[in-house]
Amino acid sequence: MIYFIIRRLIMTVFLLLLVSLITFAIFFLVPRLAGQTTYQLAAQYVGRNPIPSEIKAVEVKLGLNAPLYLQYGRYIKGIVAGIHYNNGPDVSYCPFPCFGYSFRNQQPVWPQLISDAPVTLSIAAGAAVLWLIGGVSIGVLSALRRGSFFDRLSMGVALAGVSLPVFFTGLIALELFSYKWPIFPNVHYVGITTDPLLWARNLVLPWITLAFLYAALYARLTRAGMLETMGEDYIRTARAKGLAERKVVVKHGLRAALTPIVTIFGLDLGLLLGGAILTETTFSFPGLGQFTILAIQNQDLPEIMGVVMIASFFVVIANMIVDILYAVVDPRVRF
Amino acid sequence: MKRRSIIAATAVGAISALLISACSSSSSSSGSSTTPTTGAVAFNAGISNVVNPSSTKGGTLTFDVRGTPDSFDPGNTYYAWVLDFDHLFTMPLFGYKSCPGSCGEQLVPDLATSMGTTSDNGLTYTVNIQPDVKFENGTVVTSQDVKYAIERTYDRSVMANGPTYYQALLTDPTYPGPYKDRSKNLMGLTAIDTPNATTLVFHLQSAFPDLPYVLAFPNTAPVLPSADTGSNYQLHPLSTGPYMFKSYALNKQLVMVDNPNWNPATDPNAKQLATQIIVNMNVNQADIDNNLIAGNADIDAYGAGVGPAAQARILGSSSLKADADNPINGFGRFVYINTKVAPLTNLHCREAVEFAANKTTMQTAWGGPVAGGEIASTIDPPNIVGYKSFDYYNALSQPAGDITAAKQQLALCGQPNGFTTNMAYRSDNPQETAEATALQASLGAVGIKLTLKGFPSGPYYTNFAGDPAYVHAHDIGLAGGGWGADWPDGYGFLDELLNGNAIAATGNTNISEINDPVINNLFAQSSKVSGATRTAIWSQIDEAAMKDAVILPAVYQKVLLYRNPAVTNVYVQSYYGMYNYAVMGVSS
Repeated sequence: MIYFIIRRLIMTVFLLLLVSLITFAIFFLVPRLAGQTTYQLAAQYVGRNPIPSEIKAVEVKLGLNAPLYLQYGRYIKGIVAGIHYNNGPDVSYCPFPCFGYSFRNQQPVWPQLISDAPVTLSIAAGAAVLWLIGGVSIGVLSALRRGSFFDRLSMGVALAGVSLPVFFTGLIALELFSYKWPIFPNVHYVGITTDPLLWARNLVLPWITLAFLYAALYARLTRAGMLETMGEDYIRTARAKGLAERKVVVKHGLRAALTPIVTIFGLDLGLLLGGAILTETTFSFPGLGQFTILAIQNQDLPEIMGVVMIASFFVVIANMIVDILYAVVDPRVRF
Repeated sequence: MKRRSIIAATAVGAISALLISACSSSSSSSGSSTTPTTGAVAFNAGISNVVNPSSTKGGTLTFDVRGTPDSFDPGNTYYAWVLDFDHLFTMPLFGYKSCPGSCGEQLVPDLATSMGTTSDNGLTYTVNIQPDVKFENGTVVTSQDVKYAIERTYDRSVMANGPTYYQALLTDPTYPGPYKDRSKNLMGLTAIDTPNATTLVFHLQSAFPDLPYVLAFPNTAPVLPSADTGSNYQLHPLSTGPYMFKSYALNKQLVMVDNPNWNPATDPNAKQLATQIIVNMNVNQADIDNNLIAGNADIDAYGAGVGPAAQARILGSSSLKADADNPINGFGRFVYINTKVAPLTNLHCREAVEFAANKTTMQTAWGGPVAGGEIASTIDPPNIVGYKSFDYYNALSQPAGDITAAKQQLALCGQPNGFTTNMAYRSDNPQETAEATALQASLGAVGIKLTLKGFPSGPYYTNFAGDPAYVHAHDIGLAGGGWGADWPDGYGFLDELLNGNAIAATGNTNISEINDPVINNLFAQSSKVSGATRTAIWSQIDEAAMKDAVILPAVYQKVLLYRNPAVTNVYVQSYYGMYNYAVMGVSS
């Protein structure tokens, strides 16, 4: 098992390198192929009416004048060993893992990512708990009461949940529960260390909004899985042996139906940790999602690179954990 | 002068770009002064009156703002709302008098003791600063600190965002900035002398009567060299204003508290009423509007007005409307007509565009008469000193377009059946996109076929509309845009748009590429005269450019601002076209 994990870790590193290479090529190579010069790129970051020498100075400062392979090498070196950057009167050091230096904010990218990550983590973790418990419970109950009023109602609501985008349900939730009936007034992000109660109170609406979307999806998946599993021969056998129905459902039915749910859960959570863009934008929470939007708006390439790498990291790690869990469940995949 | 094109585009759209200058509907001279009045809470009361006047101390004043500041470093900002906001923690040499109405266009000393004196045929300008102003750490401000603040703006690799007037106006234009030139105890800029601790002597390349306006930018607010952290200075600029930074999470939230070393007697243009100021950044516009109306936030710092949903809500409710103002903000929206792209090289073809355009649909595209603005017939907005009303292309008398006149001009241009050209616009700006579509429809009525070319806002002025080589290669005859003056006179508004010297290879601001000797000569004359003679030149330039048909004016922009009823001492500062953030308080 240990060798399997080591192999997966090595693969993960290679995968992240590949992601960084592709991302770098998209944002640095493609514009060049499209005819954009590094001089033009630098001109975007030097304010209004710059004279050529000023643009050249910025081009040099941002390292845009170097060959692409050197820029990429410098980028990777920064992640591994940190970089020094000129902040004006001094040269500052951005330690490992330094994801470069923001063209717009004139600050290293990594500290910004780190300061935004708790916001996204707060949203994603709370919502994940809600949607997993809610979605799976509803899915199981619907499967066990197939065709009942509850089944039809819950699946109808689930269909709506899957269909309605977060920015719609989020705005409705805010309008109703924050402004019309101020049960959750003045929703804005507060750090958990600043005020844990306020942190939780202000996150209730984002959690519910996000969980509504995912719970609907998970309810439908769980229901389908349970319906299939509960029709298996071994379930009939378990019942024939006189096992309590609760044990049949939970131990034999749900356990088997959960396997694909766990896989998808890992991927969904990994993706969300890279930035719950719509939820953060709707509720104006300053997390990685908002960071991503700003980076794209500002065409701040190091920031875009940084957020893509972080998002990839979470997805790859989530994948790895799922693979390891699979290996635990089914030892055949280790070989 | 230089574009305050504040980029600030939010993904949700809304009004992009910057806001600047004034709001008053009068065209008073900057020297005039009206007595500030106080008035009852009512719609537009904040344009000419102080609403909720109070000197009560206490409370937290909360600003919400969409997007983020370009920088809180006073030497590295050009965003209009930041220029306004900076007065809470900086004291530049000069500022605009804190008062409502046209009074707010008046330039007054801030850190300086007077408006300074000019000598040597306008080539030397001397100004003294107050001797007893202190930084937040108790250090007394000296003239060297002001000189150092200006010096650091020369290093564009660190101070990329702010205006660049000093290099163009002062001697020693190649000075690299104090980060590269560490000699002479960081006082290497020869264009400014500091003979003593309170005197600054500026040496100009040529006479420039508008220099005091340039010195009103926050980049003349003193910076203590030992406290300068370069690109990190934005995280905690050392305050000389009523408030100082307590904490700043970059692009998220700023918290400011009282500056104990601020003396109100030295800074009459600012107040220290609230005990704490909070700025929440990157809040989406719908949230901001709801927060304002619900009382969760006090002021939208961006100052570009509420979003469409809130507009309808506010205008439909008499109680909410009483807490709103709808000023002209000094920003002009228009379409540049390029004089180097055929067939628009022909004056009559350009005039055909002017006549055929449906100004009403363009106004609607910008949001209608309240949120968009008034239909414009001149380049200068009404609140610019030197503004003169005229209507060469019947924009006001026939706002739906003068088809007959347009067809006559097409015939004179040798294109009786119309012609084909391209129009650039910012596709991530919903209003500008709507304007382009509206213009395409109205020009189509006379046979001018417009092909729309959308570009992202970020590189719009550097790589597309502001890159003459690109414009010529892609036959971009028209380009959407907007403009606001860095200071409220004709020079500030028109020079970068219409002076032939302003044509640049990238980041071009004279997008029409007009290089008319008559206009260039008028600009040259303006630096040699003063008073009414100088003021008259601005309208002559405006008229000459409109006769050349190089710009199609759309609207004099207006915004619908909402003030939380809890905010005290609130009014629109004419120069900024938004509320004066330096004097506000809040009732508990």
